[in-house]
Amino acid sequence: MSSSRRSAIIVEHLRKQQMWDAISKSKRLDGRDFGELRPLEIELDIIKKANGSARVKLGDTEVIAGVKVETGEPFEGLENKGALIVSAEVLPVASPHVEPGPPDEETVELARVVDRGIRESEMIDLEKLVLVPGKVVYTVFVDCSVINADGNLFDATSYAVVSALLSSKLPVFEMQDGKVTDTGRTQETPITTIPVSLTAVRIGDVVLVDPTAEEEACMDARITITTNSKGEFCALQKGHTGSFTIDQIKKAAEASRVKGEEIRAKIVELTGYGK
Amino acid sequence: MDGEQLPMQEIRRKYVIPGDKIIEGNFRPLSNVIRSGNMLIATRIGIAEVGRDGAKVIPLSGVYIPRVNDLVIGKIIDHSSLSWEVDINSCFSAHLPAQDVFGRDFSPARDDMSKHLAIGDMITARILAFDRTRDPMLTLQEKDLGKIPRGELLKISATRVPRLIGKRGSMIQTIEQATQTRVLIGQNGIVVVTGRNSEGTKLAVRAIRMVEEEAHTANLTQKIRALLNVPETTQEQAPNTAPPKSQEVETAIEEVEEELEVEKGEKL
Amino acid sequence: MTQTRNLIDENGKRTDGRTIDELRPVKIKVGVVKNADGSAFIEFGRNKILAAVYGPREVHPKHMALPDRCVLRCRYHMSPFSTDTRKNPAPSRREIEISKVMREALEPALILEDYPRAAIDVFVEVLQSDGGSRCAGITAASVALADAGINMRDIVAACAAGKVDDKVVLDINDTEDKEGGADMPVAYMPHLDQVTLMQLDGVLTPEQFSECLDKAIKGCRMVYEIQKQALMQKYFGNELELKEEQ
Repeated sequence: MSSSRRSAIIVEHLRKQQMWDAISKSKRLDGRDFGELRPLEIELDIIKKANGSARVKLGDTEVIAGVKVETGEPFEGLENKGALIVSAEVLPVASPHVEPGPPDEETVELARVVDRGIRESEMIDLEKLVLVPGKVVYTVFVDCSVINADGNLFDATSYAVVSALLSSKLPVFEMQDGKVTDTGRTQETPITTIPVSLTAVRIGDVVLVDPTAEEEACMDARITITTNSKGEFCALQKGHTGSFTIDQIKKAAEASRVKGEEIRAKIVELTGYGK
Repeated sequence: MDGEQLPMQEIRRKYVIPGDKIIEGNFRPLSNVIRSGNMLIATRIGIAEVGRDGAKVIPLSGVYIPRVNDLVIGKIIDHSSLSWEVDINSCFSAHLPAQDVFGRDFSPARDDMSKHLAIGDMITARILAFDRTRDPMLTLQEKDLGKIPRGELLKISATRVPRLIGKRGSMIQTIEQATQTRVLIGQNGIVVVTGRNSEGTKLAVRAIRMVEEEAHTANLTQKIRALLNVPETTQEQAPNTAPPKSQEVETAIEEVEEELEVEKGEKL
Repeated sequence: MTQTRNLIDENGKRTDGRTIDELRPVKIKVGVVKNADGSAFIEFGRNKILAAVYGPREVHPKHMALPDRCVLRCRYHMSPFSTDTRKNPAPSRREIEISKVMREALEPALILEDYPRAAIDVFVEVLQSDGGSRCAGITAASVALADAGINMRDIVAACAAGKVDDKVVLDINDTEDKEGGADMPVAYMPHLDQVTLMQLDGVLTPEQFSECLDKAIKGCRMVYEIQKQALMQKYFGNELELKEEQ
């Protein structure tokens, strides 16, 4: 059952006042402009046991994503496609407010929103990942662990998934005598597009991208929009208790296209994709 | 640091981690030190000091543990019908009884507590009572205590507070004077900086951060002076030109003197 | 456990090129998780493990608190991508047991009476696993506890020894663990000279048993030096001695 409750972080009125003072000068507490992201760092291939991995830092938010590839049965109704499963976990190391145990609703939302962005963009050509149609397909797991939480887990996790997938090498499986065997060879992951999400929050009348934990604790509403390489929209999630005007949504959508393009270029540069 | 005897006045220091032997012999274990047989052992990372009165470790990490009479800066995080719950950056949240604010004839039905102090408000308070069996109890019954109306908020490790205050308040006075700010320091590591302009405040924050990061190093005062562009001589005039010293600084000074600091070494 | 091939060659070298008395490369970095009160990242062979400590802090739910001392809680967890085949993120029985022995390995070093009614939470996350992840985890957790400034009697260092090709060797790796003869993880407080964790699976003769234990303790001492160095580096930089002013 979902119920409303107070945010785990209580922002001091002194800080809120400073936030308002800054906002009145079109700035934020950390000196950024409303449309500015925190510095993005990507480190690849940190987990040798994974088929691809990335550690992404967006400001002080830090996420590790690992790709593991197995074989299994296809999803029902998608018999001729490989399976892609994106999961996310906020580890209890990540913040004093995380309790170990089954994921809470926010973590479930995080995992689902990130998964949706990757899935709906059709980032991976899953039709190329079929061994025996209707019976045996590649199953690509992308598991994410948030190891330090300072706001905007949605985008940091999404960038981690994208980076891990872009840099992944899939094992080549073959059917031999009706059994799946790992040939020991690898293949390029069939990438079709690079989805990029952008999350913005509304605080009062202003809309800020890439919120910190403190800004999220003060937000009225949140929106996450994912675009693909062509600049088309492929997934969206509005969150939190407040609302947006149509105009704010249109502006956020435009920002997600423009900013998304910049971030995509940055991810391509940092992952060395296509080189 | 072996041997039984230390000459008068001599103080020996070294860096230690938990489990390290500090000294052998009949020395008194003061703080963050345990005795094991004939040995004194450090229980924290920090600077061990052995003097004639005993051995102790000045820790360099750790959360704030409340002590009665400490001046702390806290955040109101909740209230019941009889008291506020205050986050004092410690392992226990503190309580401020409504009666402390409204007086003896406080009535939960009549008096609106959140009008006085709301969730998110910051207060300066003193720890009135605390022991192993109960959570710290706060009071505002003193001059200069109560709600903090404005200022830039900082959190430093509580272990750095004595260093930030400095000997006889020297460090914090240097920062306050050079940046034209007033710096309120809670023993719990919460600091509030108020200044005439944002440049001064920013500079003070930078200086405080530097003290926090380099607390273990020698010549810290000189480094801070260099950062703030303060000539060496201003220190001597401090007593006359200093702004009225706040209560918390006074309290903390006594403690620093008692806790004798690394700073002493610097001047020699 | 039956051995199918030789794991030590004629020159006394093991599958990863080590001698029987050699540790895998160990690297520890202190203070890696910004939000935590204390943290450490350890690379122990191919293990990559993150340990974070929160506390002492308030106990939730409150009735879990102890009136005279602090509650220590430990979680050992493996990330889904940490193993050869993907691991289900839900805690397994193995992880639950390791969480328990890990807590019991750390508890003797902590002065929990200093923090009545509070809790200390230790989270150990295995990002990439290799043999001996519990030892590496304990080693990292102990450093994270010291980093958090919790009163401790000693540092806990951990290392395994075991039997491979009927020889007693230090610090069993993944292959040796799976194919070798015996594995004995040990955690040890070097100053207090006390063992806080010891397990064994596999068969050892009485002589081998005692040799194995001695070797593991030797390994713990080596690990301790690395722990100490990492903590010194974080807090005092490269100055290992405090300059005595005259």
